[in-house]
Amino acid sequence: MADVEMKSADEKKAEEAKEEEKPKKIPLTPAAEIKQNAALIERAVSTFEPRFTHRVLRTLTSLKKRLDADALRDAIEEIYPTESSLRQQLLSWLPAATSDHTMEVDSVTTKQPPTEPVPETEIYLRLLLIHYLLSSSSNYGKAIELSRQTVEKIQALNRRTLDPISAKVWYALERAYELGGELADARPLFLAAQRTASLRHDEETQASLINRLLRSYLQYNLYDQADKLVSKTTFPTSASNSQYARYHYYLARIKAVQLNYSAAHTNIQQAIRRAPPATTAPGFYQAIHKLSVIVELLMGDIPERSLFRHPVLEKALTGYFEIVKAVRSGSLSQFQNALSKHAAQFEADKTHTLIVRLRQNVIKTGIRRLSLSYSRISLRDICVKLHLDSEEDAEYIVGKAIRDGVIEGRIIHEKGWMECGGQKGGYGPEVIDVFNRRISYCLELHNQSVKGMRYPLNAHRKELAAAEGARSREKELAKELAEGGGDFDDEPGLGEGF
Amino acid sequence: MATTELGVLYKDLVQSFSARPADLKKCGVLLSKLKIGLISAGLLVPQPDALLEDLVVAREILEIGAFWSIRTKDIPSFDRYFSQLQTFYNDFSSVLPPSPREFPLRGLNLIRLLTQNRIADFHTTLESLPLPADSLTSNPFISHPINLERWLMEGSYSKVWNAREEAPAEEYKFFVDSLMGTIRNEIASCEETAYDSLPIKDAGTLLFFNSQSELVTFAQQRGWQVNLTEGTITFAKKGEEKVEIPREKLIQANLQYARELEQIV
Repeated sequence: MADVEMKSADEKKAEEAKEEEKPKKIPLTPAAEIKQNAALIERAVSTFEPRFTHRVLRTLTSLKKRLDADALRDAIEEIYPTESSLRQQLLSWLPAATSDHTMEVDSVTTKQPPTEPVPETEIYLRLLLIHYLLSSSSNYGKAIELSRQTVEKIQALNRRTLDPISAKVWYALERAYELGGELADARPLFLAAQRTASLRHDEETQASLINRLLRSYLQYNLYDQADKLVSKTTFPTSASNSQYARYHYYLARIKAVQLNYSAAHTNIQQAIRRAPPATTAPGFYQAIHKLSVIVELLMGDIPERSLFRHPVLEKALTGYFEIVKAVRSGSLSQFQNALSKHAAQFEADKTHTLIVRLRQNVIKTGIRRLSLSYSRISLRDICVKLHLDSEEDAEYIVGKAIRDGVIEGRIIHEKGWMECGGQKGGYGPEVIDVFNRRISYCLELHNQSVKGMRYPLNAHRKELAAAEGARSREKELAKELAEGGGDFDDEPGLGEGF
Repeated sequence: MATTELGVLYKDLVQSFSARPADLKKCGVLLSKLKIGLISAGLLVPQPDALLEDLVVAREILEIGAFWSIRTKDIPSFDRYFSQLQTFYNDFSSVLPPSPREFPLRGLNLIRLLTQNRIADFHTTLESLPLPADSLTSNPFISHPINLERWLMEGSYSKVWNAREEAPAEEYKFFVDSLMGTIRNEIASCEETAYDSLPIKDAGTLLFFNSQSELVTFAQQRGWQVNLTEGTITFAKKGEEKVEIPREKLIQANLQYARELEQIV
């Protein structure tokens, strides 16, 4: 512990030295941040505390955007001793530096800690390198190469402290393959790694890999395989929120294709709840809401108007908004117009086939609205109001709607009308179930958060000591009082007052 | 040796299959021989290093096999042929020249899923078709099952009934009968919930039955009460809703809350 602290102090010195060289604009330069992170990883490994690693990985997203070759080079050169072979290996992935810059860095490296850092740091640096390579399209080939090597290295090392980082590496690998346009080629790799990860109880990697696989299946529209994968694997419960959000999103897409809308809707809600706030991850937020709008429509609900005014969503959802308007008014022609107008967008979002299915929902929504506003309506009127082709069709359609539970009602065939059943009372066994679900959710949340609280090691000692001190002081005071107070009366219980 | 023998058998098969009327029995015998031949040549499950012409031939044999199974009304066999063909259609699509029979077969497969009421599978398959979504409707072989599905989902059963003769290929008609069976069952289950009772005559028209006796046997299968004298069908009520308070469950839940609350406070 002391050793690590020393090192971070050392680095701070190095940092300060650097800061003197160039004027500081942002609080922490990327290079400095990387170094700080390396120290944290070091500490995580020596204390077996994965949360330090998690802290490092949390900064990854913001760090990713600020990475450049110079920062990486600085960081690598300062973290690794000059004679290290790994240093050369890592540096070989970066473009050659300008000569004067290397000079300057060389002077800094003399202050290096002489020890070789833990392998976790190396993998972390490799992860950053991959992300750096991915930032320009000419380097995709290199990124694939590097990520493959990194993965091999991870598997050879087989260290549990590496798990959180390796989960991120798999993500980077997928990204590299996807941008390189060879996502299908990576699938065998993922499958093999998924097996290894589950054997090693490496839950974070497992979660990440299941998502990678699902993504690659869905990218190629292989819903069958994706569904099989889901049914054959269990998603690790300890997975992080962001992995859960993704997983739920993919599940929702599979279930929506399989017409299981209510399950899809549950998954979507889970995904939205677990997703990071809209401003940090707007892409995911938009994608999930697109799906959410369609699934809600398919279930016969109309999404809330306020959703389409959300600053992040407003623009992305314009096409969907038109669809919603068409479904809401039950107008088939308006629906068709909106569909053909935004077909390209829907195609790109992979929601086109789902939207096509909405046609029947336009009709169903219409019937539902009729059933709510009339207690009895003739089939001919239904036919006219919904622009159906014939009364015969209307009868079948209404019959089907009743069977599917869209409306409550009955057809009186002899008289040619539909009688709509009254709304069910709001109280019944279902209500108990719903309440029960909510209450147990709250209790579960409470219990989980109690479990999730962290107490620093030995911190209670200090408190105990303080309490001890307070008590002895109290006693002394009591004694003094007792002695001093003895003049007045002999009551023994004075100390109790404290 | 194997390949020359295969070539002879293959020509024989093509000949007897394209003859009008096709010699189905002979085709069956040839097909089983050819399958063994394909296995020994390692073509049944195609390998990436196989010759292109061989793959095309293997694909055609399997395609003929699939059509043959439909003509001989052997659905499980069609299933097998089609799943073998999937490798050719999906994984080798970039290597092989497209087959003219691909979309008829895919359409047939879709219809098969429809007739078996496997709607979820239908959509999964539809989703994985190698066509952009908006051109699906322009392909006659695919648009037919899509339309059928849409009408089925909407509940426009009479449109399905009317479209049964508009099949884009000969083999599609085979499925019409089983499709009608599916529709009848669908309609019947709708009627069970939507009506209390129906006049026999109207029930007959709704279910597309031509004679009353057919209807009566159908009604008996579904357990409907047919009253011939009054001329009505009464549908068996599916268990009147019993509103019973689940006491035990409630007590358990409440005890559970009490325990949890005690832990918190």
